[in-house]
Amino acid sequence: MGSLWSACNKSDFDNVELDDHSAEFAFPLFSTTLTLEDLLFKVLNDESSDDTLFINPDGTMTLYYTGDVAEKPASDIFNTFPSGPAPIPDTFYKYPFYSNEGVTIREAVFKGGTINLAILNSTGETLTGTFTVPQMSKNGNTLSIPLTVPPNATFPFITPLFSLEGWKAESDSNELIFIYDLRKPNGERVKIPEIAPGTPGIFVVFQSLVLSYLEGYWGYSSYPLTRDTIEIDINQTDLDGGITIKSPRVTMLISNSWGFPTRGYIKYLSFIGQNGEEIPLETTAFNDDSLDFNYPSYPNEIGQTKYTEVLLDENNSNIADIFNAQPTRLIYEVEGISNAQRDSTLIGFLTDSSLIRLSMRVELLLEGTAKNFGAEQEMDLNFGDYSDLDTGKIESVEFKLVTENGTPIAADMQILFLDDAGMVLDSLFNDGARLIMESAPITNGVASGVTRQENFVTMSASRFDRIRQTKKAILKTSYTTAQGGTVPVKLLATNAAVVKMGIKVKTRY
Amino acid sequence: MKIKHISILILLISASQVYAQQEMMLHSLSNLWHSNTSVNPAFFPENKNIVIGLPAYSIDAAHSGKITYNDIFRKDGDRTVIDFDNAINKLDPENELSFDQRIETLSFGFRTPNGKWGIQAGHAIAFSGTLNYPKSLPELLWNGNAPYIGQTVQIGLQADISDWHEWSVGVMRKVGILNIGVRAKYLTGISAVRTDDDRHSMSLYTDPDIYQLTLKTDYAFYSSSIISAIDTAGLGFDVTLGSFKNNIRSKNNGIAFDLGATAQITERLSLNASVVNLGGLIKWKNDPRYFQSKAEYTYEGTSIPGADIINGSDSLDFDTKLDTLNDIFRFSQTATSAMETNTPMRIYVGGSFQLTKRWNLGLTVFHQKKDKTNDTAVGASVRFLPVKWLSLGTMYSVNNRSAANLGFHLAVTPGPVQVYFLSDNLLNAFSLKSSPAANLRAGLSLAF
Repeated sequence: MGSLWSACNKSDFDNVELDDHSAEFAFPLFSTTLTLEDLLFKVLNDESSDDTLFINPDGTMTLYYTGDVAEKPASDIFNTFPSGPAPIPDTFYKYPFYSNEGVTIREAVFKGGTINLAILNSTGETLTGTFTVPQMSKNGNTLSIPLTVPPNATFPFITPLFSLEGWKAESDSNELIFIYDLRKPNGERVKIPEIAPGTPGIFVVFQSLVLSYLEGYWGYSSYPLTRDTIEIDINQTDLDGGITIKSPRVTMLISNSWGFPTRGYIKYLSFIGQNGEEIPLETTAFNDDSLDFNYPSYPNEIGQTKYTEVLLDENNSNIADIFNAQPTRLIYEVEGISNAQRDSTLIGFLTDSSLIRLSMRVELLLEGTAKNFGAEQEMDLNFGDYSDLDTGKIESVEFKLVTENGTPIAADMQILFLDDAGMVLDSLFNDGARLIMESAPITNGVASGVTRQENFVTMSASRFDRIRQTKKAILKTSYTTAQGGTVPVKLLATNAAVVKMGIKVKTRY
Repeated sequence: MKIKHISILILLISASQVYAQQEMMLHSLSNLWHSNTSVNPAFFPENKNIVIGLPAYSIDAAHSGKITYNDIFRKDGDRTVIDFDNAINKLDPENELSFDQRIETLSFGFRTPNGKWGIQAGHAIAFSGTLNYPKSLPELLWNGNAPYIGQTVQIGLQADISDWHEWSVGVMRKVGILNIGVRAKYLTGISAVRTDDDRHSMSLYTDPDIYQLTLKTDYAFYSSSIISAIDTAGLGFDVTLGSFKNNIRSKNNGIAFDLGATAQITERLSLNASVVNLGGLIKWKNDPRYFQSKAEYTYEGTSIPGADIINGSDSLDFDTKLDTLNDIFRFSQTATSAMETNTPMRIYVGGSFQLTKRWNLGLTVFHQKKDKTNDTAVGASVRFLPVKWLSLGTMYSVNNRSAANLGFHLAVTPGPVQVYFLSDNLLNAFSLKSSPAANLRAGLSLAF
């Protein structure tokens, strides 16, 4: 085909140039879908793992802020049968074991631990006999430990450890009777001489005692249960403006397996406002700031857990008003009171797994209004290949910004372009203009459909050149729910807004 | 080679064709030896027995519509400026560029003294091509895609281009008033490109939304001995050409036949008819390749996860992936044994009437079947021989492109020398740059 060129007048093409002309190329830049779910996850402080965004079956979302779960095992409060040595001043001795004030133990079952004896035999003869606790039994056998004690006036004789696992102690007066019967080879019963005046020469030593069951009478007694703070971080963002939650709720949840009546006394329950002010949560849900926890009763509900839930909402509290003030945290303190009604006939119990769990939860169904609820987000920018374009061949560019809003929230937006030092070089919209994204149509408080808007931003080549070199941008956005933030709307997890941008580049050659 | 450069090449080719010459007039000059080698094997110079055909060159080219060289190129001082705006405005929605070029290198003819028998042999190089392209292709490349937002723009061009050697031997026999000539031609292909008739679609759609670009191709072409690779990576469109080996010997072989006859009806009236390139077919076996591209890709810009924007955890990356858009052309190539091209078949029917010793009248009907197109022309000619060795003539012809073709010829035949220059369109011949078609022929031979 080279012969084809023989027909050409070659000199015409020695210095061929394209004519000056303009062309215009259009292509897409980016698209993104912003979901309310993502937005709210951002609004939630991600560092707080106790915050949960729950998507309800109808697509609505509920924010849960949950405080620490306060757990109180019974052993934290009721320390019966502490480990340690107990002197036995006589061959028959009523040992008063420790129990909390007002608590009378009538039965205790040991899960573990040992007992043994330390005897300083200064009689000069070997002693033999038994150590008996007639109130302790296992499988019908009374606890009785045989003893053979060699003479030694210097060092006490230590008997082998005796396991108490499975042994049960019964008492009606918080006392155990210790009996030791030691005799000389000639049959003479002896009392172990004192080491020093007032100090017996025989001790019983309890070690590592663990109880699996306690039964008895718990009298009136108070003890601390919990003090905690719940951060309401939806109101602790950098967002400006106001947001109103339609139906905030606070729930107190108690799970209780203590086998006697316990009353929770609300010592402190207040929200803290934006400026640190205290806003007490007033409610009729409590009786004199108190609440009786449900509990498993003796003897048929041993080992069971009972639950108590108290709901504080706009019907029984001032919480709605409180949330209008956008509180930032909830502080609460609860004290426990056993047998608050002082019923002397009440028999209760504890097991080794008995505990009280108490937690508070702030529950915000995301239905409400927002007005000028704004945020600033700094982003890194990378214009990629556009940074390398020869703008000498560009006349102008026109950005086309399209929004398709399927949320009940209107937004207006501005993008500021920054240099490396953080100085604002330019903005996407000039002269106070901003991107206005109208909310979707609202039906029954729910977004129904999509509102599409197109915005065009024309730039000169020099301005485009300046912007495409920037490496950072600040996205300034403020949100207002439908109808100027006057009508509560439901925020659905599926609500999303699509933002996309294309560009027309007019070139000259 | 960028896409824009391809378009420039296309228009350069079309521009170069506007330079050339023509063929019907040759048919009216049966006493010129090259009328034998090119249009009718039964023609033979009158009263001559031995002929040596020296080089002759002809070209017949045309572009549909009104576009001319001057529409594309204009001088601006010492530089030539390509004025695409003007050129594109002259294009039709669908455009065809056709061109035929023939170089007769050397030929021989011998006729017995009694004129009963004759033989002949010769060699020529032929080039034939047709290029169809939509106006939207150069528009898109020149003006950008913005004017086509919301439209699907077809950008696929169709081509059927090939060149080949012709080796011919023929025999002539005079029977009564009839002189019959038969010529067999052995064809050796040089190179060829031909789009697949069923797959020549390329389109670009620019969505009015945010200008998402959808490129769809179902395009394929055969190539032998010319294109060895196409690289569309990185926004490029680099065509790797095979070496232009104008080998006389080639594995691309074919045959064609020319049949012709003349009849001297009366002393003044003669009729003739011929078929050139009958059954002409070349099978391309020298590295035939089938290039194909079938894809659909929509470039929607960078997809940025909404959570990234909300959280500000990542950079907002506008880095383009336009390379990917271009790269969907990604031609794959496979070896093929199915590549064949037909040489354009031509039929000439005509006659001449000798009014006086110095004046002749002639009529020529021409029909050409080339690929999928058929072209027909009819011409009436007047020939004036002021002296025995000088022939001047003109022809008015009508063809598919124009009803205003006024051809001419000048033939000088002193002694054994035959020199001629002719064209089917006088205006084109002398104002090539302002015509959408060109037709020229010139040649030299010796007849004894």
